[in-house]
Amino acid sequence: MENENTFQNPDPTAVEAASAPTPASAFAPRTDFARLTAQTDAIRAEIGKIIVGQQELLELLLTAVLADGHVLLEGVPGVAKTLMAKLLARTLEVPFSRIQFTPDLMPSDVLGTSVFRQNKSDFEFRPGPIFASVVLIDEINRAPAKTQSALFEVMEERTVTQDGTAYPMAEPFLVLATQNPIEQEGTYRLPEAQLDRFLFKLHVGYPTLAEEVQILSGHHAGLGSTHLEAVQPILSAADLQALRQQVCQQRVEPNILEYIAKLVGQTRVHRSLYLGASPRASLALLNGAKALAALRGRDFVTPEDVQFLAPSVLRHRIMLTPEREMEGGTPDEVVRQIMQAIEVPR
Amino acid sequence: MLPFFANLLLVLPSVSHAGKHLRWVLLLLCLAGVAPSARARATPEVAAQRQQSQPLPPDLSTALPPRRPDANQLRELAGQRDFRYEEPKASTDAWDAFWARVWKRLGRLLDHRIGNFPWRYVIYAVALGILVFAVLKLLQVDITGAFGRSAQRQPLAYDTATEDIHEVDFPARIAEAEAAGNFRLATRLGYLEVLKHLTDGGFIRWQPDKTNHAYLSELAAGPLREAFRSATWQFEYVWYGDLRLTSTLYHEARTGQRVVSSLLSGHRRGTLRATALPG
Repeated sequence: MENENTFQNPDPTAVEAASAPTPASAFAPRTDFARLTAQTDAIRAEIGKIIVGQQELLELLLTAVLADGHVLLEGVPGVAKTLMAKLLARTLEVPFSRIQFTPDLMPSDVLGTSVFRQNKSDFEFRPGPIFASVVLIDEINRAPAKTQSALFEVMEERTVTQDGTAYPMAEPFLVLATQNPIEQEGTYRLPEAQLDRFLFKLHVGYPTLAEEVQILSGHHAGLGSTHLEAVQPILSAADLQALRQQVCQQRVEPNILEYIAKLVGQTRVHRSLYLGASPRASLALLNGAKALAALRGRDFVTPEDVQFLAPSVLRHRIMLTPEREMEGGTPDEVVRQIMQAIEVPR
Repeated sequence: MLPFFANLLLVLPSVSHAGKHLRWVLLLLCLAGVAPSARARATPEVAAQRQQSQPLPPDLSTALPPRRPDANQLRELAGQRDFRYEEPKASTDAWDAFWARVWKRLGRLLDHRIGNFPWRYVIYAVALGILVFAVLKLLQVDITGAFGRSAQRQPLAYDTATEDIHEVDFPARIAEAEAAGNFRLATRLGYLEVLKHLTDGGFIRWQPDKTNHAYLSELAAGPLREAFRSATWQFEYVWYGDLRLTSTLYHEARTGQRVVSSLLSGHRRGTLRATALPG
């Protein structure tokens, strides 16, 4: 009983990371992440010139960049979703394009179209704005399903097929999409097949009180109008490729693989879920965990990495039953329940 | 009207006993009907009208065969239970007798008091409870959080008895692993032993779904947390990172684990409890 009184349940989000010991120790990390750490820290610093707070969001975005996955940012208007995506794109020294999704947008407006050339009497393919390395799709849920479907092939297979010809995308290829919550006026629910193609769905929340005060003070002092040009590019395409190769070589123990499979498998039998996550979700969780471990200076994946990423990987890939939805349940809540029901491999 | 009542008078005796009384009523009606008819016959307009409304004679040129139901079908219908209109006899079946007795007793229970207690209200309450439970089950409604505090953690849906840190004999198993040269397993067992000591001391709350870092965040800042942080890193490097352990490295890991245990035993229970995090 004494324990019950004195024990304080910690905030589950405030989980500490066990830092690696100094290089002098016999247990010093065997893999050198100095370059990766320096470059990602530089990106954080550049984005921090404009954005106040949102450190966890930034860590997840960097994880997605390293894991070669697309990201869907969801949040109410005014929480800097688009700004965050634009700034991240600026720190990558690669071709960038932005597409504003509207209800009258057509697939050819995104992918490109074949134009008849009168002098040569043939058709020429004019690439659309999707042909860039970082594509910011703003308000993705403003376009109807027909236009959304145009993204299926390019997001998964990294090619665009037009008139029987496949046009491969340049590496890297990263889609950063933003959307307002589905309850907002004039929006369409994204097809499940498209949602499954996003590595993460990230919630962009409100800043804390201290952060908001900092935003206001900066604005009041005239710093609010800092130009985006102040943010310098950090990573070239070649740099990013090298970092991704390093991430690919991360160690993952079989018991961690089993843990991931159990977590995802449980979504398929959970009574509150109408639709569980696909094997693509397992792969996303694995790739994300490898990238996160690298960001945190480890060359191996721990259950901590998996648990940290599970909500971001699974929340858009599962569907609640109507009853659960009516009760006010959320996908994050179900994911948390699933994690609580599965033993951490140790 | 008069022929109609007259026909009824002829038919009724063959129908039933009730017709006996009805016959007298109809006879009176017939007699009452004669007078107006006689008055009507008196006027020539009525006579002409009556002549015009004479019914046509029946057509006897075509012979119509009488239609009767199929005898086989009649026999078949007569054999069916639904078409027998007799009172069912009391069943001699033991099962039916049992249920008859149950319903009889239940009825008696609902109608009368047994002792001073109105048992029927108990039965109503139980029936209502079963009904509510069935409806909630059908709707899959979780009512555990409806009464104040939210639901507690779900019990784990798997067997953890094999890995219950309170049941493992750590010194013996670590010695076994060391003797077999399995330093990796020995490091793991040593770390689990540290977790057991922390749990026993009330510094962390053991739960198999928690990560090592969740336990780390439960400790208050101080030497114990730093020692545990170091032991955690070493364990994770060995267990998840598959670090190949030499004898020297293993002894370093074991020393780190012993430091945590010695810090625990060196302090009075509860003095290092988590206080840094807000409740």
